[in-house]
Amino acid sequence: MLETTVVVIGGGATGMGTLRDLCMRGVPAILLEQGGLAHGTSSRFHGLLHSGGRYAVNDNESARECIEENMIVRRIGRQCVEETEGFFALTPGDDPAYVEPWAEACRKAGIDAQELDVAEALRLEPNLSPDIRRVFRVPDSCVDGFRLALHNAMSARRHGGRVMTYHEVTAIHQRNGKVCGVTARNSISGESLEIACQCVVNAAGSWSGRIAGLAGLDVAVSPDRGTLIVFNHRFTSRVINRLHPGADGDIFVPHGSITILGTTSTPTERPDDTTPTCTEVLRLLDLGEPLFPAVRQYRILRAFAGTRPLYTPGNAAGRKASRNFHVVDHAEQGLEGMVSIFGGKLTTYRLMAERVSDNVCARLGVHAPCRTADEALIPDPDQAMLRRAARYFPVQGLQLMADRLGDDLPDVLQQVELAGRAGESDGNPLLCECEMVSLAEIERVARDPSTHSLTDIRLRTRLGMGTCQGTFCSLRTIGALVEHGVPLELSPTDNVRRFLQERWRGLRPALWGTQAREMELGRAVYAGTLNLDGAANEQDN
Amino acid sequence: MSRIIDVLVVGSGLAGLVAALTAAREGRSVRMVTDGMGSLAISGGCVDLLGYAGGQRLNDPWSGMDLLPPAHPYRLLGASRVRAAVDMLLQCAADQGWPLHTAATPEGAPCNALLPTIMGTLKPSYLLPDGLDPAALARARRILVAGVHGLRDCRPALIVSQLRRYRDWADKDFVPFMLPSPLGATHRSLSALDLARLVDRPRGRDWLIQNLRKHAGQCDAVLLPPICGSRADASIWHELNQAVACPLVEMLSIPPGVGGLRLRDALLRELRRHDFELVENARIIRATTDGKRCTSLTALAAGQERRHTARAFVLATGGILGGGIELAPGSARESVFKLDIPVPSDVTLWSEPEIFGNHVFSRLGVRVDGEMRPQDDSGQAWYDNIFFAGRSVGGYDFATEKSGHGVALATGWQAGRMAAATAGKFHEPASGEQL
Repeated sequence: MLETTVVVIGGGATGMGTLRDLCMRGVPAILLEQGGLAHGTSSRFHGLLHSGGRYAVNDNESARECIEENMIVRRIGRQCVEETEGFFALTPGDDPAYVEPWAEACRKAGIDAQELDVAEALRLEPNLSPDIRRVFRVPDSCVDGFRLALHNAMSARRHGGRVMTYHEVTAIHQRNGKVCGVTARNSISGESLEIACQCVVNAAGSWSGRIAGLAGLDVAVSPDRGTLIVFNHRFTSRVINRLHPGADGDIFVPHGSITILGTTSTPTERPDDTTPTCTEVLRLLDLGEPLFPAVRQYRILRAFAGTRPLYTPGNAAGRKASRNFHVVDHAEQGLEGMVSIFGGKLTTYRLMAERVSDNVCARLGVHAPCRTADEALIPDPDQAMLRRAARYFPVQGLQLMADRLGDDLPDVLQQVELAGRAGESDGNPLLCECEMVSLAEIERVARDPSTHSLTDIRLRTRLGMGTCQGTFCSLRTIGALVEHGVPLELSPTDNVRRFLQERWRGLRPALWGTQAREMELGRAVYAGTLNLDGAANEQDN
Repeated sequence: MSRIIDVLVVGSGLAGLVAALTAAREGRSVRMVTDGMGSLAISGGCVDLLGYAGGQRLNDPWSGMDLLPPAHPYRLLGASRVRAAVDMLLQCAADQGWPLHTAATPEGAPCNALLPTIMGTLKPSYLLPDGLDPAALARARRILVAGVHGLRDCRPALIVSQLRRYRDWADKDFVPFMLPSPLGATHRSLSALDLARLVDRPRGRDWLIQNLRKHAGQCDAVLLPPICGSRADASIWHELNQAVACPLVEMLSIPPGVGGLRLRDALLRELRRHDFELVENARIIRATTDGKRCTSLTALAAGQERRHTARAFVLATGGILGGGIELAPGSARESVFKLDIPVPSDVTLWSEPEIFGNHVFSRLGVRVDGEMRPQDDSGQAWYDNIFFAGRSVGGYDFATEKSGHGVALATGWQAGRMAAATAGKFHEPASGEQL
């Protein structure tokens, strides 16, 4: 039996942000996540840090929140954000009469939208369609949602918070109309865990309906499925939005060496309905073509889907549903100490966390103010440390690695220096060249108690996210980890098989063109040469 | 100006090389046009004939032929032709001093061997060069498992941990061992091909021998990545085995395919004994046909177009990976003649949710008759003097059947024979005439 004051349910950006906020105010808290870190929607979206331009006309209040939070997240989460700026482009298929009301709404929300000469826009983004009519630049940015959750978790830990991944909440206990604890099941060991607490924050996103159900409550949250495509090219340096009322397939977002095209919108019953379909991929390509005419020529790395947790009181659905967030104090329904947070978007995660923490603190009689906008998630590493690291890590990937590792950088550096002095080092080889991930970083992440599989390592390091999609680096990684005595949950062959299977799920709906060739190379290596398929039935123990 | 040749072969993977050899051995003039190295660049250098059929691993590949679907290339050819193709390859390889052979059952019948891989898994295969023969491992009690610092793809600890999971291997003693990098302390990553090229030279052989000798003395066999030379040179192999005084066995590894390049080396050497010409880095961009006859193929190389006129053509252009088959949303076609390959219009139906499942796309290819001529839906040959071979042919899944090189060999042999015979029929004008 553990004891704490607040249990936060959901390890996405909102839950992690809430844990951090509470801990910074001195409130003891534990976060429970059913899967790995950011296993839900925080790692399954386009990675756009909204300027708010997308919402300016329909929901000016959301737009204002977006631009304010955008500026805060750039400041506190430097390692998670690439400050690219964005374009809103009017294509021949879009209504020109939408432009002026949109520009006016941006002004009202405080979004700096400057019109740009089309020729200048094409000079800056030469792959854009030459047919575009008007272009505005806005302060959009790109954000790594997984890393944002991770760095919030690191910050929360520094302030005394505790994160337990792979813990699914199975019961919420109450006494005399007040929350008194939760039961969780460790999905790896199967063990049951009791935690006594005074408050529960339901930040489970698309799963929050289920969590509320555990406490006998009914909430108006509907999962809404969005599918996206990842391309193996950074064919735009900026976020490109279509200048029209929000619709499917109208945003391109660059990340590192890739570009994401999103997003579809379909109501779904299941929060884990995340297998993309061929129909969705083809539709996205159709919709993306007016902005990037060559979009069909680019190799697709994979498609993926996530579910938005839309707040839908009175049956508003899909794009009509509000993108705003809502804090619901369930005391109104007779259960004190339980608060749910619904809706919203990743850009405003911090504000959502602040509002829900305000609610919890008021109940607990805690008066400390929110400080999450003032303190960086991860302190910048000093230059001396980076110079030391440059002796062991490829210089061109050094900053990437430092940004990914956050609080773990000093530890990784110390390990690799010790190994170097003891002569054990085999030169800290790069195991993933696409994303510049070295053995030392992978080993540190793999040894983290919250890491169970190659997929967990992929999320933290971006291993296998690039051109080879894991064909070469997954094998190298599993070999190096066995060599260094780092155990994972599954056997090495099962681990690689599951990793490849997850990649396959994203490639299957786009099985043509150059991506089909890459996929056949993967089959040639893993089935044709290594007989991973046959070995599954032939290894005896 | 270009002479008319008898047989033009497109593609230099195993199917293309075998087709060229078969036609050349029948006295035909052969030209090979190729845009890359094909399947051998990623191959281990053994010939998988048939490892799995009907959901079972096969000890005797010939026993599985009847379990295959009727459209499978082996069924179209019949086992006796497949045997003839195997015999021809065995003879050519032996002639070049790069002998291939099969494992044998206790009764002496040829059978599949189980070859260890750098992942510690075992793969069934049929024709093996000396270096892949696992017989010494079966007898061994104590096995040295060698890796090399800097060779990231091969980790002895992984190999040992996985090999132990097989019953026959569980009780063996394994000695994992890392050889120091031959380049000294460096951050540079090495591939097996880098090391194999080093071992081609005496200095590299010394490095390997000195390091293996330190430990091999206490072991019955040495398992190592495919680094014992990059060419089909058996003398290197014998020198290493003698100097280390312990049987060496190479593991199958991921690309670059050192073993495949050795086999390619042997077959190209054999081809050079005949009327054979190789045109590399050339991509076919156009076919010229006259009714049911193809008269020439035009290739683009270094920005120059060149027309290749021939009496018969073998298309060994590869499959989805090699570029012989092109997939688009809802359609598939062969890449040179743009032959339509029927597929369901819904891409979802091309594959199964499980990555190593029984996929429709994995068997997509040109439909051929028993002579390897492409057929339309009604069973009529599209062309009389074109023959397909290797993965461009439909009806089999090289990856899950472990039949890739076997089908390439059998179809290449048949296509080469048929092309040679066809060229003979059209042979009225004397060979060597100028156009």
